[in-house]
Order: sequence, then structure tokens, then C-alpha cells
Amino acid sequence: MSPMKEGESASYQKIKSMTTLKDVLAVATSFEASARDFYTGLIPKVSKNFRWLVEDLAREEQGHYDLFTSLAQRDDIEGAIQAEIERPVTDGKFADAVMIPDLGDNPDDQSVLQYAMGREHLAMTHYRALADSTAAGPIKELFEYLANEEAKHKEELEKLYYETVHSGGV
Amino acid sequence: MSAIDHDVSGKLPRGRHTHGDEPDMNAIDHKATGGILSPLKGLQFFGRKPVTQPLEPRPASANYRGFHLNDWQLCIGCSTCQKVCDNAAITMVEIPGLPEDAAKGVRNLRPAIDYGRCCWCALCVDLCPTGSISLSREYVHTCTDPEIDSYFVLPDANGIHGVAYDKGWAKSEQSDLVALQRTEMPEMAPEARIANFDEIVEGYDKNQGIIEASRCVQCGMCHDACPTHMNAPEYIRAIWQDDIEEAVRQIYRTNPFAHTCGRVCTHRCETACSVGHRGAPIAIRWLKRFAMDQLDHERVKEIAAEGKAAYPSGKRVAIIGAGPAGLTAAYDLAKQGHAVKVFEAMGAAGGMTRYGIPYYRLPADKLDQDVDVITSLGVEIQYDTRIGSDVTMERLRDDYDAVLVAVGLWMGRSTRVKGAEADGVYRAVELLRKVADGESIPVPKQAVIIGGGNVAMDIARTLARLQKQHYGQVAITLTALEDLDHFLADPDEIKEAREEGVEILDARGPQEVVLDSSGRATGLRTWKVLSIFDEQGRFAPKYDETDEIIHAGDMVVEAIGQAADVNLLGEALTEALEWNRGRLKVDEQLRTSADWLWAAGDMVRGPDVVSAVADGHRAAASINDHLSIREQAA
Repeated sequence: MSPMKEGESASYQKIKSMTTLKDVLAVATSFEASARDFYTGLIPKVSKNFRWLVEDLAREEQGHYDLFTSLAQRDDIEGAIQAEIERPVTDGKFADAVMIPDLGDNPDDQSVLQYAMGREHLAMTHYRALADSTAAGPIKELFEYLANEEAKHKEELEKLYYETVHSGGV
Repeated sequence: MSAIDHDVSGKLPRGRHTHGDEPDMNAIDHKATGGILSPLKGLQFFGRKPVTQPLEPRPASANYRGFHLNDWQLCIGCSTCQKVCDNAAITMVEIPGLPEDAAKGVRNLRPAIDYGRCCWCALCVDLCPTGSISLSREYVHTCTDPEIDSYFVLPDANGIHGVAYDKGWAKSEQSDLVALQRTEMPEMAPEARIANFDEIVEGYDKNQGIIEASRCVQCGMCHDACPTHMNAPEYIRAIWQDDIEEAVRQIYRTNPFAHTCGRVCTHRCETACSVGHRGAPIAIRWLKRFAMDQLDHERVKEIAAEGKAAYPSGKRVAIIGAGPAGLTAAYDLAKQGHAVKVFEAMGAAGGMTRYGIPYYRLPADKLDQDVDVITSLGVEIQYDTRIGSDVTMERLRDDYDAVLVAVGLWMGRSTRVKGAEADGVYRAVELLRKVADGESIPVPKQAVIIGGGNVAMDIARTLARLQKQHYGQVAITLTALEDLDHFLADPDEIKEAREEGVEILDARGPQEVVLDSSGRATGLRTWKVLSIFDEQGRFAPKYDETDEIIHAGDMVVEAIGQAADVNLLGEALTEALEWNRGRLKVDEQLRTSADWLWAAGDMVRGPDVVSAVADGHRAAASINDHLSIREQAA
């Protein structure tokens, strides 16, 4: 899977053109499902000493997948989204400073973390861009909510990256 | 002091005669035993209700030694007051809910005073390290409580009855018995040390050592904070008593890396030192160094061997890695009578203390002495043997009764920014290893270091010395993501690096290694880091992309995180073992999920010499228990 796939303009246009909440969630759901499948496929390729990381990422993406699936089925979705965006998350730029690597057949923990951060950053950027270009209303709020979710996840990964790579972690 | 029960008849005791309004003391017949009916006179009190006379508050003179006040905000529960009290009038009482943090030097204890014992000498005030205790101007305590513990008071800042009388005897500059100034450690001036790798610190002489030891209040906060719980109060007291052999004996009770930790320990003990709350903490690390340097090495070996088992156990233990964790475990196990063989990949022992710490901080001959003490107990070290390739883990499992893996963090991490794999870009741990091993390394005319930890300082200062030797000048720029307040390096390291000409630029985020047309590094491009943590304290740096600097350098050195090379375990064992977020999963006794394998030191704990020593003890104790149980079962 190409790490840049979600960043392609076709994907952006596809999401931006959504007109109904159901369709928007369907794209988001497939977006998270692809990430989950990628990490799940990576699990047997990595050493056991950091397999937990890839398993965590796969679980996280599965969680997003479940969330979007359940959001699509909820009647009170507008209220739930409103509650989340009242707690804004800092949009760090750390992922900008690292490259998206070619993971290869046996990636190490740093490669996986860099890839995951890059992916989260791309997702966050997409949702935020969509939110900026959408008129006020439930759809805009949904994009803002999604952007915040991705930003939170990215920051968790950045913290882990710092602990692992920059502060002597093993 | 207590319920004051008076005979209110106004009669004076027998034998007391008045002279005007005052009793004539000379007229008292001390030998008088009273009349034959005297014992019966006591019956007149039978059945009378005791009367308590209220006494109005009366503040005493300004410096009066009244009842204890204790400011709980200042008090750290160090127990110095308890220890100095000759009357044993002070008991430390545990107060649930108060903060307790050994690493910060805080106990949830507060002194309670037994006024049946207190003599109001005020030594507890004069020697209190934080100045939390004083004596009030209140001098009457009327007890309204029939219980005996009304003499036993837990003072706070409000006074014994909650009535403000102000302070009477309190700590002043004249009365303070805590020596706040540290005995300065003599060391080489920057211009004298920059062109060589001689040890910077010169060490205390006998007089300086005893003076510094005399500052210790023996509270034991250092003992609690030390990962291996060194008996620091005991060895400091021995130094003060000029009993160096006893000091070394106390040191070796918990730390066979005595010379090493006397020089490069992270000295958490000093962070927790109670004297440090108002002054400079006791130089505990330097005192250990002082004691070790005073005693003849052969005598140190004799002291270290005290208590060694007289007979071999017949058990064999293999240890992988001759660093502080592995050799500390070997020291303990050898003393317990087990045959210990240590497998070391390098040509000399010491692990990262030898191959990661420059000689100007830890001279090789001092590390050699620590190793020699350990091998003198019968520990065998097989050098130049790499487990995984030269000897397999399975072989060790089959040939030994227990195996301990205790390898260091030999793999340097890379930022992996663009250009990080180019010529001219190095990892600090690799350069430091080569320098320690006597190998030559390229000496840059100008170097850029990435990192703000001790390894970054070590490589910066090592390269500075080499530059001085080769070119006569120092040109080192050190950049770090963190601002100076969040550098992981020891403040002394930062100060000394600057003294030696290293330019330190904090809050700079590496973006790219700049290359010339041939693909060789010519510098590092960084952005200013605006903030490093978000509102929740999570690492999420923000950059000012307009504040860009290209730091020129023909060498870029990455000195960020490190990792252990766990490939030595082999694929099968790696799969069989349980892991915990990248580290081998171990229990409290450092046993892995395999019943024959223990893991200790940097690879499970993170890089720290004294924590590795503590791990070594813990692993050895567990292995010894394991072998003993097997012996009993057999």
C-alpha cells in the first residue's frame, strides 16, 4: 500500500463532494478500514519486541472504524459531534519534520511510528481542509470532529515517538 | 503541663514557714517525715472533685523556648529532628494524604513531641534542614484531656492550642547548625583540560572530605532516593570519623561499582538531600569517590570479599554483558558461592560505562579497579564473545543453571531526517565507542551535534578535545529539540561543555542534513521550536518555520535515543518470550517469562548506572532464590 494514497487529490475530491452524512461516513469508514488492514497485514512482518505497537495501531484504526460505523447509525449524531469539538486539540507540526518511509518487508519500530504519524497527519489535514471548505452545519462539524480525532491520535504517536527515539527508550 | 489539681485550702505544706510573704526556704525541714497520722491526712482529699484552674494565655519573651511549631508546608518529614533529639522526645508519625516521594526527598511523616521527655534544648530547631520547626512564645499548656497522650502533641504552624503566640526560638543565621555551603570540588580549569582526556575532577583531600561529611544531618533521604539504597549516611559518618575502611565497607554493602558511581552516578541522592532545601546538598557522590580513592586497592578487595561463601554451591550462572548490571549480579552470585561466567562482546569490561563515558569523566583505570574487585571473587569474564553468533542462547540455557541477560543500549537512534544517512553523519554511541577503544575517528573542523542528553554532551566534549589537539581550536554547535530547562543532560555537563567552547542552541528542531554536490554533509538545517509540549503535557512541538538556521559542519552527529540490540536472543526465543512495549517483560524479580532467563539493566530499565547496579542485585537475589529452591527440591 502506498503511504501517500489517502493524500491524493481524487480522495479529497471524493470526500469533498459528499452531500449526505451517510456518504461522508462511508468514505471515512473505508479510510480507516484501509489503515486497519494495512497494520493488520504488518503484524506478522515485524519483530515481536515491538509487535505491540502495530497491534495497537490496528486496534486504534478498528476503533475508528467502529466509531464511524456507529455514528452513521445514531440519531443524535449532531449533538455528539458538538460535544467533542468543544475540546480543541493542538495541531502539532511534528509529523512534518519526518519523512514517510518505504517500510519494506521488515520495518523497525521507528519506521512504523513515522509512517503512522504521517498517515494521521494526512488524515487530519484532509478532514480539516474539508471542514474549512464546508458551510456551517452538521457536515462541517463532522469534519472538525474527525480532524480532532486524528490530531489526538497523531499527538499520542508523537509522544511515543519522542519516548522511543529521542529520550533513550529501548 | 497537665491537669493542675490544687488544694485550694490555702494551707502550705508541712515544714514550710512564711517569712513575710515569701517562704523561708532555709526553714524547711527536709528530714521531717511527718507525724504518725500524716498518711491519714490524705484521706481528707478522698471524694473531692479535682479542680482545673483556667490559665489565661500569656506570651513569653521574644526568644522563649515554648512549644513546638511546625510548618507542614516546609516540613519534608526527613526525621532529622527525631535523630538529633537526645531525649527521644520526637516520634515521626505517618500522616496519610501527605505527599510521599523518595526521589524528591519528601516523606509523609511529621514530628510529634512527647512533652514528658522534651527538655526544650531546641536542637530540633537549630538542626532542622528546612527551617520548618520553631518554638512558640506560649509557655503554658493546660491539659483538659485526661488521656496520657495529651502530653504527646503533633505540632503544626498554629501552635499547641491553635492560638497564635508568634515564634519564640526560631532558626536564625547565628543559631542555624546546618552548614549550607558545599565544600567546592577542585577541578581543572577549562583551558587546562580542553586539550586532553585527563579526569577533570581532582577529588577532595582528607580535610575537605571530613569537612564535607560533617555537613550531613544523617536523615537518610539519600538512602531512600538511591535506586540501590546505598548506605550513604553510614559511609558519610564513617568518613567524618576518619574511618575510611568502614566507609568502603558500607559502600560495598550495596555497590560494587564504587569508583564508577563515585564519579559518574546520576546522584539522585543529592536531589533528595534534605540540606539541599535551603543550601547545597551534601556532595554524596564526591564523598564516595573520596573514600574509594583513600584506600589501597588490595584492601578494598579484602573488604569486598568479606562474607563470601566458604564453599561453592555447585551451581553455574551465565551472564550476558559485563556492564554494571551484569557484573553487580556476578559479584553477588559469586559471594553466594555460585560459579559465574560472564560473556562480553567487547574486549574489556564495563559496558557503556567504558565505551560510552569519556575518560575525562571516568578514567579507565578506576573502572578497571571496580572490575578487578569483582573478578577477584572468582567471576570469570569471557571477552570478545558475542551471544547469538559465537554462542547461542539455547546453549547457555542447556549448560547453565540460570542465565541473566544484561546488555546495554548500544544502538544509537537516528532522526531519519532527510540526509541522515549521508556521508559525514554519525551516531554518537559509535564514535564514543571507537574513541574508548583506541580507534581513530575523523576529526571534523566544525561539527553539529543533535541531542540534549548526556551522550550529546559527551560526544561534543570529546570532539572538542580532538579538535583542540588537531586544529588548536574548538568549533562545535549542539542543537536540541528541548529548551534548556528540559535538557536531559546533567546541568554540570552543560556548564562544562560551554566552558570548553561548545555552542549550545536549545529549542532547535532538525529538519534536514544539508549536503554538498558529492552528497557529503555540510551542515544541519533547523527550525525554531516554539513549544515542545501541549496543554496536556504531551510532546507535540510547534515550529516557527520562518526561524530557520543552517548550522555549518563537516560532521553531523546524532546523539538522541538509544536502543538495545535484542537480536542476540534469536528469532525463536524472541517469539517465545513475552514483551512489554518494546522491552523484555520481567517481573519484580527481573525474571522473564522463561523460567531460566532473567533480564536486567539498561535494556529493561533505561540508561542509568546506579539503576543498573540496583537491577544486578535484584536479579542476583532472585537467581539465588531460584537455585536454592531447586537445591531443596532436589
